[in-house]
Amino acid sequence: MSKTKQQPTFKKAVINSIKSFFSILPLMMAIVGLVGIFQTYITPDIISKFFGYSTFFDILSGTFSGAIASGHGSISFIIAQGLKEQGVSLYALSTFTLAWVTLGFIQLPAEASIFGVRFTVYRNILAFFSTILISYLTIITLGLFK
Amino acid sequence: MKKLEFKGIKLLLIIVAIYFILFFLDTTNTQTALNKVSNILITLVPIFAFIIILTALINYFLKPKQIMKHFGQDSGKAGVFYTIIGGILSHGPMYVWYGMLSDMKQHGLKDGLIATFLYSRAVKLPLLPLMIAIFGIPYTIILNIYIIIFAILQGTIIDKLMSKYKNID
Repeated sequence: MSKTKQQPTFKKAVINSIKSFFSILPLMMAIVGLVGIFQTYITPDIISKFFGYSTFFDILSGTFSGAIASGHGSISFIIAQGLKEQGVSLYALSTFTLAWVTLGFIQLPAEASIFGVRFTVYRNILAFFSTILISYLTIITLGLFK
Repeated sequence: MKKLEFKGIKLLLIIVAIYFILFFLDTTNTQTALNKVSNILITLVPIFAFIIILTALINYFLKPKQIMKHFGQDSGKAGVFYTIIGGILSHGPMYVWYGMLSDMKQHGLKDGLIATFLYSRAVKLPLLPLMIAIFGIPYTIILNIYIIIFAILQGTIIDKLMSKYKNID
């Protein structure tokens, strides 16, 4: 294909890409708005209050609080470090840090709007159980090497 | 050429309304939230630019037929492999990738690979040193291997579940 024929095609690809981006911009702005509210009201102090009970409860707390919380992944590790010093189980810390990056209650409306409700429900249920299973399996496997 | 159809206008209006209400009830925290929003948007600008360019490049170099071949129903193990690499290398919050994935889905990207991509993003290369410092090397290696295994499993299950409903629909 000649260069002159390629140029309008690439220009078209860029314009389509910009249009795709702008079409979901209101959705992303809404999610960023929600993240702002959650980061303000759900502070690391509040999150740490969910922990320190039984291992089972801590695992559920870890999964749910990780899914509710939002922000850069590094924040989850910093909170996890603090929780580790408080004696929270490794199971709970694993679910917490994993849920932080793989689950997102805040993102559910956007995900459902783009990929459909059925896909979103299935994916999040699977991600929820995967998070718990991965934490268990990681610690069991880790125990085998000790 | 694509029509510009906005998604999430209602949700955005609801969020704006929440901010208005919060502003009168709790001005200080609302201002903090707005500051956080502006900081997030500043950090997202380069990621947005990267995603726009990446989507354009994918649309330019991979025609719908090629997307079908590499990431469609018959993409096989290679499709899963490329998706995992893409997921691991992708940066920023999950929601910024929805647009690109939606675009690729329209060209044949299968649902299972979307799930695989979104879960394999849990392997965060830049955060590995921090993870090692807190949890140790063996934990970090084992956890990340399981994340990849479960990303593949989720993709397989999602494909089976979605195809079941596609047949019914």
